[in-house]
Amino acid sequence: MLEFRQVHKAYATPQGPLEVLGGVDLTLAAGESLALMGESGSGKSTLLHLAAGLDLPDAGEVRLAGRAISGLAEPERARLRRESLGLVFQQFHLVPSLTVRDNLRLQARLAGRDDAAWSAELVARLGLAGMERRYPEQLSGGQQQRLAIGRALAPRPPLLLADEPTGNLDEASADEVLALLLELVRETRCALLMVTHSPRVAAPLDRRLRLSRGRLTAPQEAPA
Amino acid sequence: MPTLLATLLSHYRRHPGQLAMLLLGLWVASALWSGVQAINASARDSYARAEALFTTDLDRLERRDGTPLTRDDFLALRRAGLPVSPLLEGELEAPDGTRLTVIGIDPLTLPGDSAFATAGSSSSSNPGELTGFLTPPWQARVAPDTLPALGLDAGSSEDATPRLAAGRLPPLTLAPALPPQTLVMDIAAAAELLDTGERLSRLVTAPGALDAPPPGLSLTRAATLVSPGQLTQSFHLNLTALALLALVVGLFIVQAALGLALEQRLGMLRTLRALGVPGRALVGGLALELLLLGSLGALAGIAGGVWLARALLPDVAATLGSLYGAGVGVELRLPWHYWAGGLAVTLAGLLLAGAGVLWRAARLTVLDLGRAQAWRAGYQRQLRRMALAGGLVAIGGLAVWAWLWRQPAGEGLTAGFMLMGALLLLGALWLPPLLAAALAGLARLVRRRPLAQWALADLQLQLPRLSLALMALLIALSASLGVNSMVGGFRLTFLEWLDQRLVADLYLDPPAERFDAIHAWLGERPEVAERLATRQGETTLLAVVRDGESRARERPVELFGITPGTHLTPSWPLLATREGRQAAWSALEAGEAFVNEQLAIAEGLAPGDRLTLAAPDGRAILEVAAVYPDYGNPRGEVLLATPRLGERFAAPPGSIGIVLAEGADPAALAEALAVRFALGRDALRDQRQVKRVATEIFERTFTITRALNALTLAVAALALLASLLAQARERRRRLAPLWVLGVPRGRLVWVQLAQLGGAALATGLVAVPLGIAITWGLVEVVNVAAFGWRLPLHLFPGEIALTLATAVAVALLAAGLPALRLWRTPPRALLAEEAAA
Amino acid sequence: MMAWRARHGWRARIGGALLVLGLSGCGEAPDTGGGAGIADLGESAEDYRQAGPDQTLAFPEDHGAHPDYRIEWWYLTANLEDEHGEPLGLQWTLFRRALSPPQQAPADERPGPWLADQLWMAHMAVSRGTTHRVAERFARSNPSADALDGQAGAVAAPFRAWLDDWRLESRGNASGVESFERLTLSAFDGEGDERFGYRLELTAEGPLVAHGDDGFSRKAADGQGSMYVSQPFWRVEGEVTLDGETHEVSGRGWLDREWSSQLLGPGQAGWDWFSLHLDDGHKLMAFRLRGGGEAGGDYRSGTWITPQGEPRPLAPDELLLTPLASSTVAGREVPTRWRLEVPPAELDLIVEAPHSERWMDTSVPYWEGEVVVRDRDDDAPLGEGYLEMTGY
Repeated sequence: MLEFRQVHKAYATPQGPLEVLGGVDLTLAAGESLALMGESGSGKSTLLHLAAGLDLPDAGEVRLAGRAISGLAEPERARLRRESLGLVFQQFHLVPSLTVRDNLRLQARLAGRDDAAWSAELVARLGLAGMERRYPEQLSGGQQQRLAIGRALAPRPPLLLADEPTGNLDEASADEVLALLLELVRETRCALLMVTHSPRVAAPLDRRLRLSRGRLTAPQEAPA
Repeated sequence: MPTLLATLLSHYRRHPGQLAMLLLGLWVASALWSGVQAINASARDSYARAEALFTTDLDRLERRDGTPLTRDDFLALRRAGLPVSPLLEGELEAPDGTRLTVIGIDPLTLPGDSAFATAGSSSSSNPGELTGFLTPPWQARVAPDTLPALGLDAGSSEDATPRLAAGRLPPLTLAPALPPQTLVMDIAAAAELLDTGERLSRLVTAPGALDAPPPGLSLTRAATLVSPGQLTQSFHLNLTALALLALVVGLFIVQAALGLALEQRLGMLRTLRALGVPGRALVGGLALELLLLGSLGALAGIAGGVWLARALLPDVAATLGSLYGAGVGVELRLPWHYWAGGLAVTLAGLLLAGAGVLWRAARLTVLDLGRAQAWRAGYQRQLRRMALAGGLVAIGGLAVWAWLWRQPAGEGLTAGFMLMGALLLLGALWLPPLLAAALAGLARLVRRRPLAQWALADLQLQLPRLSLALMALLIALSASLGVNSMVGGFRLTFLEWLDQRLVADLYLDPPAERFDAIHAWLGERPEVAERLATRQGETTLLAVVRDGESRARERPVELFGITPGTHLTPSWPLLATREGRQAAWSALEAGEAFVNEQLAIAEGLAPGDRLTLAAPDGRAILEVAAVYPDYGNPRGEVLLATPRLGERFAAPPGSIGIVLAEGADPAALAEALAVRFALGRDALRDQRQVKRVATEIFERTFTITRALNALTLAVAALALLASLLAQARERRRRLAPLWVLGVPRGRLVWVQLAQLGGAALATGLVAVPLGIAITWGLVEVVNVAAFGWRLPLHLFPGEIALTLATAVAVALLAAGLPALRLWRTPPRALLAEEAAA
Repeated sequence: MMAWRARHGWRARIGGALLVLGLSGCGEAPDTGGGAGIADLGESAEDYRQAGPDQTLAFPEDHGAHPDYRIEWWYLTANLEDEHGEPLGLQWTLFRRALSPPQQAPADERPGPWLADQLWMAHMAVSRGTTHRVAERFARSNPSADALDGQAGAVAAPFRAWLDDWRLESRGNASGVESFERLTLSAFDGEGDERFGYRLELTAEGPLVAHGDDGFSRKAADGQGSMYVSQPFWRVEGEVTLDGETHEVSGRGWLDREWSSQLLGPGQAGWDWFSLHLDDGHKLMAFRLRGGGEAGGDYRSGTWITPQGEPRPLAPDELLLTPLASSTVAGREVPTRWRLEVPPAELDLIVEAPHSERWMDTSVPYWEGEVVVRDRDDDAPLGEGYLEMTGY
């Protein structure tokens, strides 16, 4: 589903080039879930951006759904995102000008895979029933995050990229949102790449990797 | 306070665009306003100086037969005990082509209270000065702003004796109170310079000094001379209205900029409050910031205004000169209150625009983060308030309209402007609710098209910030459409009218004493098909009789005599007749009168009414047979058949129109005339020349109107551009999620252009009916009151299309730059911006 | 004050031009004291003829204008009574002032008809009780064009002096000296109820009287002066119109003729001038020039005239003029009660203005009004006359 081969990425800084990723190899199979852990500034977000085709690697190859994104033009990459990805990022919030319902169905509609029944089911399962006509700012933080998850899953994407999806939530809400996310991912047989710094959040996922100084390692504890 | 102010102002260091927009708004608003005020002030100064000279406070005596008075007439009248004073008036051409009016006076007999007394220097009673004025080489008194025409500056002017084509001027003496382009000197010096010999232009007396004119002379009372200030009042009111419009448009920008700056600083303001800055100090700091920026903008604006006025003044002066005969200097003369006034108006406008900001800052609570999200409800409330305020304005406008409806035609110039102001305000206030409703409606229609839906929803979100700029655009577009349609319609009507009135091939201006000889000579020439002799005079309208009811009046009117022959009568335009054109012309020939539209409107005249006019033998009672259009004439006129005018009013002869026979050569006739009667080159003009001059005057009249309009529109475009630029970053940030979700940048650019172009197009569509309403107001109310004529309402589809195109073009231009930047922004930068947010 | 100056700016200047030479620039003299006006005079006076003891008078020629002298006037005052015996006073004056000397006529190839070399000013006044009406007019002339029919002028015989329709002229066509013996004076001003003026016949009942040294009257100790002739023996009859009423009047008149090129010296601030008709038939002319006398004192002069018209010039020490009391007129202190002593004629007189409101509010203002003459010892009425005071 997603494959990184010897991916290098460096940013120009006033102090000279700063290597963020130094030869990363990663494979994520369909329906598999992977937690990517690491310190702040370890390159997790960069890796996620590369996975989403928002950015291109300096060297190496990123393949998404069997296609190398480096070879794709910007509109092609945009189409890939539209059709093959769901994104739950800390940034890239909801569209404030659209209602809950329209936000939820936005990407599905953009991808041309709007499914009213599925959307309605998502609304119900995400606990947003009765709030369809509200606007994002009228929701609580947990509700907003659930809406973002709903928006990402509404087109039934083969891959979901999530960046600290529970980072802004208290522990109880976080658990609840995470459980819901995993349940839906499994149900839709969607692969999941989730960035988190919390071992507790990472625990229920199929695999865990740690990103440190630009390289991937297995976490200290034994794989489950 | 310095720390607070520095902190507040630091916002503009990070957002220089907002500062630029704020200053730009202030600058253009106050530049247009103060430019027009500078023109008005300069013109008023010129009028005041002209009125202080001779025009308004002296009665005039002239010969009834139009021949010039002479020195012997003066002496004979003086020896008979009549307190008359000789006056010589003529024109000279300065080296740069400026026409200079030379006025020769006799200070010894000039009625003593004449302002000439103060037109002199500041020196005290110095007998040598009078001797200098009265004896060679004499003195020429001149206002300092006339010096450039003579190729001099104030430093080198004293006692200079510039040489003109006519001869050397007497040594100059500065007299700032004189009107521009005027030289006042002793009559002996003027007679020599103008080579007039014993001839006089007229005799003058103190007002009311004579009960009746001496035999053979006509007396024009000072009180019946219309002063240039009165005549041009409406012209200046027009200018002021346009300037006010520009000011309002500019203040819209200011308000938009201030609102944005406040919104983005809400967090900073709360932090400051949390750090212990009292609310009062915060409001004070913001007010101080306003004052600082306001002063800066106002000063720049006044400087811009003076520049603008300097650029426009020659056209304005030419217009006023040709339309009203009012001399206006082309040099700016600005009294101190002009500067103070410009500053005050700008600051007051800024305060008005900033009042909302200060109010919000005053009500700011420290822990208010959550409630800031309530903007949606807040904006809905604001829309409702706007709709309500618009309704109130509409009611007020209706009331003004109802009042105007009951006024006689020609009244209510100010009310007319108020009505149009109400219309514009109404349009502006209802625009955002209308747009919001339209967007909501459209959004329902495009539910299935996510990007369109997003675009509409996003536009709704932007509306609060865009609406001020759109309102400014609406006002500018409507006013522009209205004024351009009026001018265009006027142009059509005027040109057609010129064609109808100018039927002769040649126009001859014979000296009065040779009028009969020339007229007779022309009658014998085979190449002359018809002679259209005219006469011109002045009298006073004493009473108007309508339905047997007589109203006493005291209005000076012009008398004009035409020859209603076979060439003139078919084309001469008439607006209303008693019993048809044919009967009207017969009636004119029989001695009845036509009145021009100006007089008909001013006095409420209709065919069939009777006029009582002062005549040499007492009173003349004339029936009105028809009303005719008389564009460009600021005064009321009574038209008679030329022979009747001569008989009943002893009016002196005017020009002769010469209709040539088929195939006759005008040049040959002109040559023969010149040889036979030794006429000057200026005496004969052909029709094309007359038309060209008239058309030139017309075009110049509206140069300033058009210029101000275009500038106002430019200001509105700038407003839109500035407010879009100020929001460009934020808009890009809102686009980022869509991009992340997989909408290509190219589409995003198009969406953005479509959003703004659509909003502008909608604004343009609202502007069209509003502009037509403005045209109607100008044609039906303002023109009638200001000039005394009513034009048909012409609509120009091209003009309307142009308005819409302008709106869209302005929006696309304004959106284009941010869109281009979006197009060029590397994705990484978008991510970085997003991350930074 | 500003308004006043604005209104009268030019008139003040016109008056100043004439009066700095004639009546002395009242009120301005202290300012000018050798300043603009006088300097103007001193500068070009040499281009004009100077009055002096060597000049001889010749009539009727000297009744006309003397353009080769700088300034000149025809100055008539009259003490009249109306049909009810009510006293009434009047004044009529024509001033001339040359703008350029005749031999220096402006060198212009084509002198226009308006070119002026003479400036004229006329004053008229009628007074009765507390009423005092004044009018003033100006004109220019050019002798080449206006000898007889200009706006203003003065010709010797038949005598005629005029400005506009204000005329003092010979009755009849006599062209010899007798043309000056029977004159008509006519002047009116104003409209409607405001109209005032007179139409009078003047008949000379005595000869012309030359003052000073056969007509040369000194005005300062250093010798400057003017040619000065009077006709103090007018019998006056006619009509005076005032306040909308016309009165039949009769009485006595006094006409002064004076011409000069340099009348006043520097430092002369003004004068007090008396012309008195005594009931016994004598006439007395006396004046005091304030300043310009010996050691900067006043300069006094006068003429004692017998009923037959024989003049007896009075030397400075034969005449004493003492102001006794002042009145406030038009905001100024003006002496209106005088003691006048003429030892050679054994006269000790009190001269008093019965009405002090005789201010001439003309371009350059002065005081001019009727006076009554009484004996100082027994207060017996001795006569009447006119008093003119300038420079207050």
